[in-house]
Amino acid sequence: MMGAMADRLSSRVESEASTREFGAWMASEQKRIFLLCKRMLQDIGEADSATQDTFIKAWQSLNRPGSADLENPGSWLTRIAVNTCLDRLRSRRWQFWRKRPAAQDEETILRLAPAPEPNAEDQIFAAEIGDRVQNALDKLSLRQRAVFALRHYEDRSLADIAGILDLDIGTVKVHLFRAIEKLREELHDLYFRGKQ
Amino acid sequence: MKHWNETDFNQLLYGVKDEDSHLRECAACRAELDRLRTVRQRVLAEPEVSQEFLDAQRRSIYNRLNHSMRNFAPLRWALSVGMLLVLAAGITIPRYLKSPVTLTTDEQLYSDLTAIEQTDEPKAIQPLHKLFEDQ
Repeated sequence: MMGAMADRLSSRVESEASTREFGAWMASEQKRIFLLCKRMLQDIGEADSATQDTFIKAWQSLNRPGSADLENPGSWLTRIAVNTCLDRLRSRRWQFWRKRPAAQDEETILRLAPAPEPNAEDQIFAAEIGDRVQNALDKLSLRQRAVFALRHYEDRSLADIAGILDLDIGTVKVHLFRAIEKLREELHDLYFRGKQ
Repeated sequence: MKHWNETDFNQLLYGVKDEDSHLRECAACRAELDRLRTVRQRVLAEPEVSQEFLDAQRRSIYNRLNHSMRNFAPLRWALSVGMLLVLAAGITIPRYLKSPVTLTTDEQLYSDLTAIEQTDEPKAIQPLHKLFEDQ
């Protein structure tokens, strides 16, 4: 009797500890995952629920009996987030009546991070071009969008992207090459506008 | 000596192209690459996400996790057990409901067969006879 009770108590303590550990990990990854979802989905509301889905899937997967220790939890979580976003983008193709998010809502949730050298003009320029690049992601196929977002915003290596998306490096390079070609105009304004 | 163009630089920045001997030796191209890398750092600066929003999102995740742990796990078990019971009932109940087979004795079978064999007319004509008898 006492043994069973002690077992229950110890499993409860373990479960609380793992919940706390998961909570701390979630807090450290939450902003990155939310921004990745936002960049891929281009919709704050959808990015919010995709982020929630990502962490819930991660929790369920980690608590499945026999789940192995993760070698790279960050990349694993990124993979779940990207796949969640890709699923949403696929189902979104039929939702042409989808409501666009209000710009004011975005502003209250997102603020441009202060630049290392405080320069108002630079900040406005970065925000403006950032929006243009963000909107131009619609030109890309789903895979190209995922590859480009991971490279452009997260600066991940091609090997890392290949691991996350379960592709070989050659395929990642091809997707990136095509994405760069399609976004040539936006990238020109981003990197070369000041030169002319 | 051909300098790197915009496409070359874009491909290098995104990892599609590698540095070559020209880039290593040409001061002008090297300077351009340095400038581009500075711009790239600005691109990588993440926007700030409001803390209230992140807190609310975390609360929502915890609520969904609690909800799924409390309600859905037992419900799933109950549904699985219910399905198994229905399946088992579907297999076993019809066996009991089947009417028992009535066994006939050899003598009864023999007399039935001989009766059929000895009638001149087929049984289907018998109702017609009845019609004429009534008139």
